[in-house]
Amino acid sequence: MSSVPVQATNPEITTPPDETGSTIWRQIKAMMSGRLIIALILVASILIFAFIGPFFLGTGDPMKIVGGLYNEPNSQQWLGTDNFGRDVFTQLMYGTRTSLYIGIVAGVVATVLGVAIGLVAGYYGGWVDELLMGITNVIITIPSIVVLILISIAIGTKSITSMAVIIGIMSWPWTARAVRAQASSVRTREHVDLAKITGASTPSILLWEIMPYMMSYIFMVFVLQMTSGILQEATLSMLGLGPSSSISLGIMLYWALLWESVRTGAWWAFVPTTLMLTVIAFSLYLLQASLDEVFNPRLRRK
Amino acid sequence: MGPPTTFSPLAATIAFPCNGNWAYLYEPLFTFNMLTGDIDPLIGESFEFDGTMSVSVKLNPAAKFHDGEAVTADDVVYTYQLPERVPEVPWAGSLNYISGVEKVDDTTVTMLLNQESINPGMVRSYLGSISILPQHVWEPREADGDVIAYAELEPVGSGPFKVNIANPEQIILERVDDWWGNELFGAPAPKYIVHPIPKSNDDANLSFQLGEIDLSQSFMPQIWKLWEDQGLPVATWFREQPYHLPGNIPVAIPNVHKPGLDNPLVRRAIAHGINYALLAETAVSNFSIPVNASLIVPGAAEDSYFNQEAVDATGWTYEPEKAIAILEDELGATKGDDGIYVLADGTRLGPWKASCPYGWTDWMTSLEVLAQGAKEIGIDITTEYPETPVFYDAMRAGNFDIVMNSFAGASAAGPWQRFRDAMDSRGVPGIGEGPAFWNFNRYQNADAEALLDQIAVAEEDAKLDLYTQIDEVFRTDVPVIPLQYRAWEFYNINETQWTGFPTSENPHTPPTFQGSGVRVFAKLSPVE
Repeated sequence: MSSVPVQATNPEITTPPDETGSTIWRQIKAMMSGRLIIALILVASILIFAFIGPFFLGTGDPMKIVGGLYNEPNSQQWLGTDNFGRDVFTQLMYGTRTSLYIGIVAGVVATVLGVAIGLVAGYYGGWVDELLMGITNVIITIPSIVVLILISIAIGTKSITSMAVIIGIMSWPWTARAVRAQASSVRTREHVDLAKITGASTPSILLWEIMPYMMSYIFMVFVLQMTSGILQEATLSMLGLGPSSSISLGIMLYWALLWESVRTGAWWAFVPTTLMLTVIAFSLYLLQASLDEVFNPRLRRK
Repeated sequence: MGPPTTFSPLAATIAFPCNGNWAYLYEPLFTFNMLTGDIDPLIGESFEFDGTMSVSVKLNPAAKFHDGEAVTADDVVYTYQLPERVPEVPWAGSLNYISGVEKVDDTTVTMLLNQESINPGMVRSYLGSISILPQHVWEPREADGDVIAYAELEPVGSGPFKVNIANPEQIILERVDDWWGNELFGAPAPKYIVHPIPKSNDDANLSFQLGEIDLSQSFMPQIWKLWEDQGLPVATWFREQPYHLPGNIPVAIPNVHKPGLDNPLVRRAIAHGINYALLAETAVSNFSIPVNASLIVPGAAEDSYFNQEAVDATGWTYEPEKAIAILEDELGATKGDDGIYVLADGTRLGPWKASCPYGWTDWMTSLEVLAQGAKEIGIDITTEYPETPVFYDAMRAGNFDIVMNSFAGASAAGPWQRFRDAMDSRGVPGIGEGPAFWNFNRYQNADAEALLDQIAVAEEDAKLDLYTQIDEVFRTDVPVIPLQYRAWEFYNINETQWTGFPTSENPHTPPTFQGSGVRVFAKLSPVE
């Protein structure tokens, strides 16, 4: 498990949504039998498991001690107990929920920052572009996991949200570069000139004339950022740098490693968690790849 | 981590095996025996107390250092007097109990007991933990300057081993073939002792499991699976719970100056709410029996002072309904809408934070069990795990609700020091006046302090009664809440290469790396 640099997928400039909204919908419908359906089912299952599951299954409180050290799976505790004697199945539901939350927050932060910086750099060009891209390139060269580890050690109070924000702050550069490339192309189009002549303000041009051309890309990059955020949290927490009093998939793995679940044969303490992380990452990548096909005419023709 | 930069027993950070309790390279006068609770002869042949005035120690005339020089009364006097000149030496605390040392002849010394704090038990403890230094080696260094910082790379001790190799991966000790104690105590069988410096606990445990380590003192959860499920030649002292010989009692320390926690009945209710059996199973992997309401460790060095009848009569066990009865009937507390009790004077029972250092997994689990038990009886306790230095600063300053800590383990001073640590306010700065190094919650009880003074000078046959009395004060006031028993040292044996290690079925040597446990090397033989 390691941080995944969120590379620009296919910075293909799509047509504006107002012209082809119904076309996209038709295309989505046409793709519904393909891998998009699998991806959507998987993502929906994960969401149901994490957000609705706890109402019906498990002990209701992931921190509640219900058994002994590493009790084997049984009829009461379907996935046994962890080192604290807490129900692993319940923890898995709550841990998945936390990990998704971290992914969404980190994804939003990284995407918003990346898009904002990329748009400004691409639109203005000149020294603004050079300055912003200079900073971006410098940040890209710094291994983000090292910075994340240092920040996690440095901040006194750790919380799920602060961790997600930090991950987001470290993850925007690739997005910024891709968005900047698209923005610098779109800004030369006629409708942008037209907007300038009619006296539209710069923020308005960025928001309404340029950004709509990359909405599909932004959405896909958000999915990727989210996946990356989940995996980075798992990495950090597994190293013991997460907020230990919370439950996330990474923190579950941290305790399992610390309490030697592998050596003692308590597979239920780490296998379901690892599988869940894999399934989440796989589902989100699949979703991103299948959406790519929906949005990108060239891929679709293939 | 690099290799030790000094093998000096004076260093601020003492490397293996130079601590005074280790009798491998340097040797103290006597060694602490975890099985008997007493000290066994080594350089000292015998000792005799002259009432509470002094103790006379007879040295073994055969004892000699690795360079061939005899260990004499001069070396003992030099070592015991060193903290008077260099207050930074690790055994400087001995001056509180031993005020002077005099040479009688080459093999006899007399130590004067400090009349301001007479305590033969603590004196015995120091006799078993101060390494005797060769005066002819250390005195010239003292004259040259800072002995604490001296980089001792060719240590001269009197023990059965000397340093062969030290690097970041391991420290290798080599047998001293002409060790003076060979005839008296038996010559060690292994030519070398390799002390690996593992990267982590599970790294060490895996090496142990693979038979690469013969003896390990790391915490190995569910170690019994290695012989029960995998049939490995692995053992611990006992074949079943608690597997290891208990030697200490980690406790929860409530701040007795916080409203609510200042009430002994509230503290007793919390104590009734803790599921000690669950705690023993989860937090310490069954390496403890459910703890008793006592500050004395049963079943080992302190067993003769443990009064089970008294514990049963006035102690507490896990009984949540009793906790609720105390809160409602004895304290007149009423349960708020949030499920938390409020005392008659309006004091809400919580929110309180129970804390221990982050990463101390067995303690963290203990506090989770405590917090969950409290929640079930209507007391609001949550857990918090700060970084270790932050935790210690807060604990020593008295700035906490509930902290977990361990007091003095088993020693030749008996449980006296643990009671002192928990209940003696003398010499402890008040909250806000400076850091405390024991009695962190600044508990004060004149009866307990009087009993401590009596126990310190009591004859052996009077001690059971006195310890029962002070334990009774502890049970009445609940200044701390015992949570689990802890092994003095975990003692994991893997007999793939060597056999002959002690177990409870064959207790020829105490199961400790330190103290009298060093005698084990003479009992080993290679597996055919």
